[in-house]
Amino acid sequence: MSETPILWIVTLAAVALTLWRSRRYVATLALAPGASRFDQPWRRLEGLAIAIGLHRKMLRKQLSGILHALIFVSFFVLFTVTIEAFGSRLFPGFSLAPIGGDSWIALLQDLFAVLMLVGLGLAVYQRYILKPARFRGSSGNDAAIIYALILLIVSSLLIEAGARIVGGADGSWRPVASLVADLLRVLSVQAHPTEQIAYWVHIGAILAFLVYIPGSKHRHMFLAAPNIYFRNLEPAGTAPAVPPERENPGVASLAQFDWKQQLDLLSCTECGRCQAVCPAYASGLPLSPKMLITDMRDALADETSTPLVGGVIAEETLWACTTCRACMEACPVEIEHLPKIIDMRRHLVDEGHVSPMLQDALSNLTRLGNSMGKPSKMRARWTKELGFPVKDARSEPVDVLWFVGDYASYDPRVQDVTRKVAELFTAAGVDFGILFDAERNSGNDVRRVGEEGLFETLAQSNIDAIRECSFNRIVTTDPHSLNALKNDYRHFGAEFEVLHYTALLAELVTAGRLDIAPAGGATVTYHDPCYLGRYNGGFDAPRDLIKAAGYALHDMPRCRENSFCCGAGGGRIWQGDDGVKERPSENRIREALGLGVGIFVVACPKDKVMYTAATDALGVAGQLKVVDVAELIRLREAPAAEGYDRIEGGAING
Amino acid sequence: MKILVVLRMIPDSAGELELTGDGRGIDREWLDFQLNDFDDHALEEAILLKEAAGATVVAVAIGEGSNRVLQMAVARGADEAIALEAEADGMIDSRAIAGSIVALARSKAADLVLCGVQSTEDLFGQLVPYAGARLGWPHVSGSSRLSIEASALRVTQERGGGIAATYEIALPAVIGVQTASKAPRYVSGSKLREASKTAMGKAASEPAGFERSAEIVALRLPGQRGTGENLGDNPENVADRLASILAAKGFAGV
Repeated sequence: MSETPILWIVTLAAVALTLWRSRRYVATLALAPGASRFDQPWRRLEGLAIAIGLHRKMLRKQLSGILHALIFVSFFVLFTVTIEAFGSRLFPGFSLAPIGGDSWIALLQDLFAVLMLVGLGLAVYQRYILKPARFRGSSGNDAAIIYALILLIVSSLLIEAGARIVGGADGSWRPVASLVADLLRVLSVQAHPTEQIAYWVHIGAILAFLVYIPGSKHRHMFLAAPNIYFRNLEPAGTAPAVPPERENPGVASLAQFDWKQQLDLLSCTECGRCQAVCPAYASGLPLSPKMLITDMRDALADETSTPLVGGVIAEETLWACTTCRACMEACPVEIEHLPKIIDMRRHLVDEGHVSPMLQDALSNLTRLGNSMGKPSKMRARWTKELGFPVKDARSEPVDVLWFVGDYASYDPRVQDVTRKVAELFTAAGVDFGILFDAERNSGNDVRRVGEEGLFETLAQSNIDAIRECSFNRIVTTDPHSLNALKNDYRHFGAEFEVLHYTALLAELVTAGRLDIAPAGGATVTYHDPCYLGRYNGGFDAPRDLIKAAGYALHDMPRCRENSFCCGAGGGRIWQGDDGVKERPSENRIREALGLGVGIFVVACPKDKVMYTAATDALGVAGQLKVVDVAELIRLREAPAAEGYDRIEGGAING
Repeated sequence: MKILVVLRMIPDSAGELELTGDGRGIDREWLDFQLNDFDDHALEEAILLKEAAGATVVAVAIGEGSNRVLQMAVARGADEAIALEAEADGMIDSRAIAGSIVALARSKAADLVLCGVQSTEDLFGQLVPYAGARLGWPHVSGSSRLSIEASALRVTQERGGGIAATYEIALPAVIGVQTASKAPRYVSGSKLREASKTAMGKAASEPAGFERSAEIVALRLPGQRGTGENLGDNPENVADRLASILAAKGFAGV
C-alpha cells in the first residue's frame, strides 16, 4: 500500500476523533442562550490584534509573555512544515519549493525550530524550577503532555530534514538541520529509513496533538482568539442585566449561561494570573477565579455532575468574591468571571440562601434604603455640625447634586471627611445640594451581591428623586455610588453626568478655585479604590490632588489597574470574616508599611473604614495614618485645626 | 386549613422617639415603621405549616407601611393580603384591635390565628388571650414550634429554665408565636416586585367589644442616665484621665 492512502486514512481518522471528542462542547455552545457580541467588528478586531499581535496582557508577566510569544510565533512558522508534510503526501506533487520552500522558508523553519525549543525550555524552567504559585490547581499532566508532544514534533522535523541532507539533499538553507545531519553521519544511520521514521513520528505527534486538544487547556489555540474577539465591550462598571427571557433572575445550571459565558470556560488556559491577583484567594477564602472557571468547565463535559450552585461551585466560593475585577483585568483571554459569579449569586438570593448578616443588611436596605438600619431621616445629620447650611436639591436648583452615599453619611468614622469635602466645595464656591432623606443606597453592591430586584427598587427610587431636582452634574463621595449612577443606571435610561469628588476637586484646583497652603512635601502612598480606578479609570485625579496638597507620592507595588482590593466590595462588607486567614485590608497595609511612609491616602469612604480598622488590628495606627485625600488639602484661610495639623496631632484618627 | 396571621407595624426603635403634644402618645410623624419581629416569626411559622401540611395563609397587617409588609408576606407565600384599617397615628392597642381580628377570623373561616407573642405596644402579650376569649377558641402563647399531627395542632411552648412543653390542641385555635421553627426566610427583591402586582384587600375596623376600662393618661420617654466618656486613644492621656476619674470618685488616693 502506498503512503498516500495510509496518510489519508490516518488523517481523516484523527480529524474524526477530534470532532467526536469536541461533540459535547459543540452541542452545548449551539444550544446555549444567545448573547449580542457581534457588534463593532473593527473595534473587536483592533482589540484582538493588540491582545494577540502585541501580546499586551501576556507580557505583563515578562518571562511567560516572552516564552509564549516564542512558541506562538514559532508555531506559525513551523506550520509551513506541517503543510508540507501533509500536503506532499496527501496530494502527490504538492510542494512549497516554488515559493521558497527549499530556500528562505527552509531557513525560517530551521531557525524557528530552535526558537520553539528555547521557548519550550523556558516554559519547562518556569513550570518546574520557578513554580509560580499561580499554577497551583492547574493541570500539571496537561502541560507535561504538551511539552513532550512539542519536543517530539520539533525534534522529528529536524531529524527528518537532517536525514534528507545525509541522503544528498541541499543543506545550504538549513544550518540547524545540517548540524543534525553531521550528528547522524557520526551515528552512521541510514538516510532513507531514518527520514521515513522521523516523518511518521512527526505526523503521528501532530495528529496526537490534534486529537488531544479538545480535552485539554490547549483548546485555547483555537478558542482564545474568538473569546477575545467576542469580549465584553460594555463599560466595565455595568453589571450584566437579567435577560428578559430568563424565568428567574439567577442562573442555576450551566446550560442557562449564554454561549459567550460558556465559551469563556472552554478558553481558559489555566495560567492562574486571575488567582494570583484575587484578594479572596489571598485571604484564604475558598475562591480561586481560575478554579471557578475550570470547575465549571469540567462540569460542562460531565453530564452526571452535581447541581451547579452549591454543588460544582460551593456557596461560600460565590460569597467570597469582592467583585474587585482584578481577575478580569488580568485574564489574557478576556474571560468574564464576575458575570458568572453575579448570576449564580442571583440564584442564591432568589432562593433565599443568604447568610444571616447579609440578610440583615439586605432587609435594612429593603426597609430603610441603607444597610446600617438607620432611619432615613438621620441620613443628612452630618450636616448639623457644619458651620453653614447645605442646600436641599429637591427644593432649589443647584449646579452640583452631591450623592453622598451610605458610609459617608452615616458612619461616624467617615463623617469628618464628608464635612471636609463640604467645606472644600463651599470654599471653592461650588453651588451644591444634597437629596437629604430622599437618597437611598445606590445599589451598586446590592446588585453585585445578586439582589437584582432590590437593586431595581433602590435605583428607581434614586432616579425618581434625582429627576425631581434641577442640576447640571452629579458628584459622589463613594466610588461604588459613582459606578452605579454612571454605569448601572443606564439600564433605566438614566444617563447622568457623574463624577467622583476627587475629579471635581482636581477640577477646582486646576481652575484655581481652591487656595491651598501646600504641605512640606512629606511622602505618602495612595490606594486606588477598585470602583474608582479599575472600573472607571479614575487614577489621576487623586494623585493630582495629593501633589497639589503639597505631598510626594510613593505608589505601592500594586497600584492603578493592579490595585489590591480592601476586601469590602461586592457586599463583602456585609458579611463575616469566617475562614479569612489574612484580611485583604491588612495584607494591603503590610504592603504600604514596606514603603516607610507615614500616611496612607484613600479616596473611598469604605476604604477609610476598612483601613482604619486594619491599622488598628495590626497595631500600627501610630505609624501609618489612614487619611482621605480631602483631609490632606489645607486651605490658606482655613481655621487652624484643619487638615494636616489635625492629622499630625492624631486627633483625627478614630 | 386556613391560617390568619396578624402583622403589626411598630415604630423603629432606632429612630428618635418624641411624645405628642398632650404627652399621651408617641409622635409618629417622623418615625419609620417596621414589622413587629415576633409577627415576622408568626408569618414564617404560617408559611412553614403551609409548606408542610398545606394551608391557605391570610395575612392581615395593621399600621403605617402595611402595604409594604403585605407585599413581603405574599412574596414569602401568603395567599391573601388584607390591610386592616387602624386609628391613624395611634398605638396598636391589642384590646382595641382584638374585635377586628375576631371578625376577620370568622369571616375568613380561619382554623388557626397566629400572631407574635408580644409587640413593643403589647409587651404583656394580650392580643392572643383577648382574641382567643372573644372567639371562644383555645389559645397558647410563647410557641417555638408548630406542627400538624393527624389534624390536631402540636404546639411546643418555651418555659422557664429551658423546659419545653408540647401541647396537642384541637383546631380552631389562637397561638402567640415566640419563634418560628426556622428563622424567617429572606425574600428577594424580584419576588417582592412580583408580589407588588397582587391586589391587597382592605378590612374596616370593628368595635373592640370590650367595655371601656382604662386609658393612658401620661407617657414618659426613657430617662437620661448620664453618658459615657470617650477617653480617646492616646495611652498617656487615657491613663491620666482614668486616674483623675478614679480619684474624683474616691477609688484611689492620687
